[in-house]
Amino acid sequence: MTRVVVDREVCMSAGVCEVEAPEVFELDTAGRLQVGQPTDLTAVETAVRACPTGALSLVED
Amino acid sequence: MSSPTLDLDTVDLSDRSFWGAPPEQRHAVYDQLRRERPFAFFAEPVIPYIEPGPGYHAVTRYADVEAISCRPALFSSGAGAVSIADMPPDLNEFYGSLISMDDPRHGKIRRIVAKAFTPRVLEKLVGNVQAVADDVVTRARRTAEDGDGTIDVVADLAAPIPLRVICDMMGIPDGDRALVLRQSNVILSGGDPELVEDEEQMVTAFLKAGEELAGLMARLAAERHAHPADDLTTALVTTEVDGERLTHQEIASFFILLLVAGNETTRNAISQGVLALSEHPGERARWAADPGLTRTAVEEIVRWTSPISWMRRTATQDVELSGQSFPAGSKFLLFYGAANRDPAVFADPHRFDLSRDPNPHVGFGSRGPHFCLGAHLARREIGVAFRAFADQLPDLEVIGPPARLESSFVNGLKRLPARLTGVR
Repeated sequence: MTRVVVDREVCMSAGVCEVEAPEVFELDTAGRLQVGQPTDLTAVETAVRACPTGALSLVED
Repeated sequence: MSSPTLDLDTVDLSDRSFWGAPPEQRHAVYDQLRRERPFAFFAEPVIPYIEPGPGYHAVTRYADVEAISCRPALFSSGAGAVSIADMPPDLNEFYGSLISMDDPRHGKIRRIVAKAFTPRVLEKLVGNVQAVADDVVTRARRTAEDGDGTIDVVADLAAPIPLRVICDMMGIPDGDRALVLRQSNVILSGGDPELVEDEEQMVTAFLKAGEELAGLMARLAAERHAHPADDLTTALVTTEVDGERLTHQEIASFFILLLVAGNETTRNAISQGVLALSEHPGERARWAADPGLTRTAVEEIVRWTSPISWMRRTATQDVELSGQSFPAGSKFLLFYGAANRDPAVFADPHRFDLSRDPNPHVGFGSRGPHFCLGAHLARREIGVAFRAFADQLPDLEVIGPPARLESSFVNGLKRLPARLTGVR
């Protein structure tokens, strides 16, 4: 199964992923990134690539 | 723009007048630098009372801008990102904000306000942005009707929209907003003689502008401590980082950064977007007829205008870039407007194409921790503003050349004369 890993040290809560794949990524009210289970993999891959800080990666379990 | 070859030895990016010239000239220089001298070296501009540093490399290729931007450990912002000279300590008091900080401190402070700039939070703000834009447009029409039918696109349309939105977000009272506009104009004037009359007094003018805004911050901070509100100023004065409140200096410089950055950048994207649309009537008509174009049109306006011309990075150790070696301490200015016209990335880069897609421009900065905090806000403001102009100001007509800001840092307009042909 594919899942998204967030490097919390690197994430700046820029919210670019949330624009690309709002069903999967959401910055909560504290500005912390919450990640759901990827459904539309294409959108998630776009979001991972678009992250300005390179905080996101996809891993296969 | 395959323009005739220039003598690059006569070009000086540190000369303020270079930046007041029409953008075609700048882009011809960028194109040639990118091809022939992608790390061209320039002496630092002379600023009275500031010790000039060793000079800087102008980075004009997209790939190099990205390579520097995405390696913050090698290319630091901490020695100053928004000035070519290292910031003297007294100016640092007001301008040494997180934009000139490295991680981990940068990240910790940035996250205090990041939650107010997320796409979902800003979605709720759209109604407010729309109301502001509608009101600004209505007032502009009244100005034209009460006068001779003319308006200034900068003062009457482009400046008030982002000013009111960021002041609302920060909880700045109406009575203080003129002061915010005046002082942020000075801070980002780049020493333009119209805004800083006496060049000898440039540093004093920057200090005074910082003091004025810091004074406003101190007054608001005291109020918010007593009566917390749902605004950014409250977040700044009440949040703790590593169990500690931000220092007075950190709050002041962050407050100034948010106000100034929230104002000047979007203003210049809007004013120069209006100019670009007047120069490309076909694109203007296409967007007016098709609101679905807004997403890509906004990105193209940011690419085309690149409102912030550069940010600086400083090598923390000996580094290599595209096969060239640079010693530790080398300064690099990342010229976003040059990267945004790099033919290696953008097909037909000097074509203004509102449906350009993909459009991986670096108008909000390139990859890395300093990517523009306000990018989502700016996109919404620009999108809402231009839809309002298309719907409510179809008779807007630019009638003269703009007055350009003589600043290397901000690609800005001071004035852009226009008229509303429907008025008379």
